[in-house]
Amino acid sequence: MGIELKDIRFSYGRVQALDGIDIRLEGGAVGLLGPNGAGKSTLLKIMLGFLRPDQGEGRVLDHDIRTEQTLIRRRVGYMPENDCFIPGMDAVTFTAYFGELSGMPRQEAMKRAHDVLFYVGLGESRYRQLETYSAGMKQRLKLAQAIVHDPKLLFLDEPTNNLDPQGRKEILELILEISSKKDIQVLISSHILPDIEFICSYVVILNKGRVAAKGELANLREASFRLFELKVKGEPARFLERIRALGCKVEETEDMILKVYMPPQLERKAIFQTAVEERIQVRQFLKSQTSLEDVFAKAVGVD
Amino acid sequence: MPIAERGYIHWDGELLERRRPWLPITRQGIRLAFKRKYFKFSFFVSLVPAFGFLVGIYAAEKIQDFKLKIEGVSTILQVNPGFFRAYFAGDFLLFMMLMLMVLSGAGLIADELRHNALQLYFARPLTKKDYFMGKAAILVFFLSLVTVVPGLVFIICKLIFSGSFRFLADYPWIGLSVIGFSALVTAFFSFYTLMISSVSKNRRYTAILLFTIYIFSDVLFGIFYASFRNPYFALLSIKANLQQVGAAFFNVKAPYAVSWIYSLAVLLTLCAVSAFILHKRVKGVEVIK
Repeated sequence: MGIELKDIRFSYGRVQALDGIDIRLEGGAVGLLGPNGAGKSTLLKIMLGFLRPDQGEGRVLDHDIRTEQTLIRRRVGYMPENDCFIPGMDAVTFTAYFGELSGMPRQEAMKRAHDVLFYVGLGESRYRQLETYSAGMKQRLKLAQAIVHDPKLLFLDEPTNNLDPQGRKEILELILEISSKKDIQVLISSHILPDIEFICSYVVILNKGRVAAKGELANLREASFRLFELKVKGEPARFLERIRALGCKVEETEDMILKVYMPPQLERKAIFQTAVEERIQVRQFLKSQTSLEDVFAKAVGVD
Repeated sequence: MPIAERGYIHWDGELLERRRPWLPITRQGIRLAFKRKYFKFSFFVSLVPAFGFLVGIYAAEKIQDFKLKIEGVSTILQVNPGFFRAYFAGDFLLFMMLMLMVLSGAGLIADELRHNALQLYFARPLTKKDYFMGKAAILVFFLSLVTVVPGLVFIICKLIFSGSFRFLADYPWIGLSVIGFSALVTAFFSFYTLMISSVSKNRRYTAILLFTIYIFSDVLFGIFYASFRNPYFALLSIKANLQQVGAAFFNVKAPYAVSWIYSLAVLLTLCAVSAFILHKRVKGVEVIK
């Protein structure tokens, strides 16, 4: 089992950081989303065993988060958000060092360090001093140190920070490949929603210390909104006003396409009915895919 | 096929549960210290007094063998507890220990705070205690090489050169004094260095601070002592406190007319304050921001 948290509550003094978190995550890649202050970091700290919840219980990789923190950290890989390295070291020493600290035998750690550095695309520069690495290379290095001991659970915090488009694509593909291994679970915390969409099939959205939404991304898209793309002929102002009154959210694109987010309870027929009444000709009516951005905005209550 | 094209592969080994999880930190720290430009030079210079005193032990025995009648020689080269105190609590050795700390210890925590490396350590099965143990063991290693190791070598060489156990019969406690005083000096410098290294993210700043506090405390003592002639001002000086306790450990007359217990209390208090500051400055829980 991956992660199971039941009614987790935690507060910093009077500030309630987590308020009854219930999640159960198994396998694959999971996106952890939420605005700043939603409780993502606190939740990560609790899962890694740095904080003890005030209330509730949880298990990570079948280890109790209250009593078996060391065992959790032995089997977990963590890629932090900000740049981190040790000056004076080269990449292979650095990666092997953290493998060894995770419990790998020294020689095995060195051998594995070479492998993972090639894997993340730093093979050619593995003997270079880390001070000379670019921001993108440091990002790859962080991934290397997180996977050197072959963890069963990988926490990735903003894994595509500082990367150029090509580098970002490569890192995302690596993460996608790692998460496709049946026995490795990846939990990604990121503000870059397209990254989450690319890798994760399951998301947990936190807001104000609570789970605002969770589930398969496809289901969330369907449950939150149904998105349709319309092309109409005629004067649409009154028509748009009326369908907004029905609960639809409408966006007009530059190429005159209307993106209509229909609430789940509203039937499509109502749109056509309104069009007829307003003497509007509907020339195109296509079901489209809701973006994660829409799901996120709805879950945290922003437009 | 290049490894990168083979895709992600699992490691088929078993993760160990180490009894001393801090050992890799120490090993890596020692290796990194020797990579530093001025450290090697400083380390070898700090061994110079040990060689000098070793030659002194040899010379003292040879002078007796050949019964040279040189006036004053017997008092200058007498190998007794005073000889050991002169080595351990000598100005030069204490200064060189400080230099070793400046060159090898100033960045131990400061560099890792600066480059956010702590979060990588604490995401591993390491406790804060393991982390400090690993860092402190680096300093203990270097300090031991200039304190307890030469001290024990002196005793062994004295026994070999003299060809008898008379020295041990006269001073049976000397070995314990060597170990005890070395442990105290090592513990003090380790706490002091780690504490200073944790107060800033800038290695240069911590190096200057390490040096300045040590020197300034002694200058302050000098000024007050010259003005008021009160030996209790020796308690202000780190060096004077170490020398006072050193004299007590080797059972010789203390340089200042102050009880060595007070000096020991000052040093232990500094260690406790350092431990407290370290505990406050390095927090495992703050690794995820």
